[in-house]
Amino acid sequence: MIELLNKLFSAQSVSGGEKPVMDVIEAELAGACDEIKRDALGNLIAYKRGKSSSPRRVMLAAHADEIGFLVTFIDEKGFVRISPVGGINWVASAYSVINFENGTKGVLVPDADAKVGEYGADKFYVDIGCSDRESAEKLVKIGMRAAVAPQLVELAGGRIAGRPLDDKIGCAVLIEAMRRLEGNPDDVYCAFTVQEEVGCRGARTASYAVMPDISIACDVTGVGDTPGAKPMAVKLGGGAAIKIKDASVICSPELVQELTKVAEEKGIAHQHEILSAGGTDTSQMQLAGEGSVAGCISVPTRYIHSGVEMCDLADVEACVQLFVSYLSR
Amino acid sequence: MSMEARFELLRRLSHAFGPSGCEYEVKEIIEAELAGLCDELYTDRLNNLIAVVRGKGDGRIMLSAHTDEVGFMITHIDDDGTLKFDAVGIDVRVLCGRRVVVGNDPKNGAAERTRVHGIIGAKPIHLQKGDERSRANKVEDLYIDIGAADKADAEKYVSPGDYGTFDTEFKALGGGCYVGKAIDDRFGCAVMVETIKRLRKEGVTPGCDLYFAFTVREETGLSGARTAAFEINPTRAIVLEATAVSDIADVPDNLRVAELGKGGAISIMDRATIYDTEFVQHALEVAKQNGIKCQIKRYVSGGTDAGVIHRTREGVPTLGISAPCRYIHSATSVFHGDDFGSVCELVWNLIV
Repeated sequence: MIELLNKLFSAQSVSGGEKPVMDVIEAELAGACDEIKRDALGNLIAYKRGKSSSPRRVMLAAHADEIGFLVTFIDEKGFVRISPVGGINWVASAYSVINFENGTKGVLVPDADAKVGEYGADKFYVDIGCSDRESAEKLVKIGMRAAVAPQLVELAGGRIAGRPLDDKIGCAVLIEAMRRLEGNPDDVYCAFTVQEEVGCRGARTASYAVMPDISIACDVTGVGDTPGAKPMAVKLGGGAAIKIKDASVICSPELVQELTKVAEEKGIAHQHEILSAGGTDTSQMQLAGEGSVAGCISVPTRYIHSGVEMCDLADVEACVQLFVSYLSR
Repeated sequence: MSMEARFELLRRLSHAFGPSGCEYEVKEIIEAELAGLCDELYTDRLNNLIAVVRGKGDGRIMLSAHTDEVGFMITHIDDDGTLKFDAVGIDVRVLCGRRVVVGNDPKNGAAERTRVHGIIGAKPIHLQKGDERSRANKVEDLYIDIGAADKADAEKYVSPGDYGTFDTEFKALGGGCYVGKAIDDRFGCAVMVETIKRLRKEGVTPGCDLYFAFTVREETGLSGARTAAFEINPTRAIVLEATAVSDIADVPDNLRVAELGKGGAISIMDRATIYDTEFVQHALEVAKQNGIKCQIKRYVSGGTDAGVIHRTREGVPTLGISAPCRYIHSATSVFHGDDFGSVCELVWNLIV
């Protein structure tokens, strides 16, 4: 799992620029599915044929994009101005190392006179070490993507921290589930989607192509078990989080019940998730065509959208097992 | 071609009455211009006008520009004959004293096509008290005065539900600039009409089928483009728009969006779309190779019909080219004449 995550982390994939990580995912899925396709927006859809004589169409989705930045302006002193791509937490991003998509590095810094309460794109710049516009323009172009540098550290108790676990941990869960899955009765379409962080756009076109009967996303969810956290029943180490609702979707109750039943029967640690803010690809899959029975298995994650997002590897394993058990039954 | 002749069509399109939901007059002008020039010319259920030019090979490129403009809707007629209204997509602080046209169309259920002139009024400064002087007018403080004696008189000309637009004469300014209303997005409409005319004049058959969609209701939520794109099912799309620039006054360099006279602004990302990276690179390359001015839209703001087109069906690689436009969404939008030629030339080189 750590090795797989490191590979996924090393391929930057800011929304709209996901191709490098899709190449990694395609290589990792070799031999684990019957067919792999990419669509016009860059979604990767892996297909695994079902054994049933009348298979249903089950779609899985994890988003391969990560939050980041877009270069909008380079000033005469060589400082680079940026716009956010997705929900950037500026406090958490301040004074971080930044990687541009061509390998250029820089550091993200707030204007010296910016107060924390005023933090936003207009108050930040990336210092790439150049002292004038001309030399900076040789390294960085307007429109280029960038992100806070990835990192992954192993902590005590089987926990890991770093970025971007949102949602490369979900991608890793689905890759591992596809590798373990054998003899699935239903046709499985496992989608690694683009542009979730800017509004679940990839899942919309991917689910139009698949037209699923049943759909299950795998994404991160917040937790309520840290000092000062908003009350929330999900906790790190509590098992796979079966989503009931978030701000974008009400999951189909029959699927919530079915996933819960499978987890109970197989003795897989699980908990139920109600997320008050945030959305997932489930919302788009549920509304595809005439609609699908839709849900989400979430990986409990602390400090989402920071450089130190944290997961428990036991929860990750529980998610993989729940996917495999549900799809095998 | 003289400047006057070159912008004659855009002048007429700018003058046309076309707030979101009442774009009929704009469509009629375009239909008349394109009569006999297209392989197919049809209107869909939402009133999008689609002009088809068949090409040699496989694939379908959808070009899109919206026919609607920001405007008003009449909500109530007061006893004194003044009209209360709601504004769509407009900074209401710039409204007081503006000349407007109020009207409707038989296709929207009106008995006949009506066009009534009026002005937007508010309480005169002499009568304002307290904080009324220090705060900007809200839409509730404003009304449209059509000169009616009372409610019964006003009702002869206007009904609640009628539409309104600014009443602005299209004119040349100095320095190659022009001013008019609804440059967003009659500029794009004019580019598409010119492109079709040039295809026919030069007898060029494009590489694949071209669908020119003159869409409705962009300003109220991209509705027209959504259904047009679903029906056309394009393999690629080019959205022609107008963008705010903020290239003057005290806007710092890093917050400027684009600049007048430097060519069409190609979008990387806005609030509704991340544009296709390869298509963007291709467009920049084509512009460079052919010596066509263009610029990158620098600030992430706004949204266009691309927001729904690129998410249509299984997804559509989409490019956005916008005319740099000062004071967009006001009664007096300003654009540079050279940008019209630059955008036409870039579109031409992308499709032939």
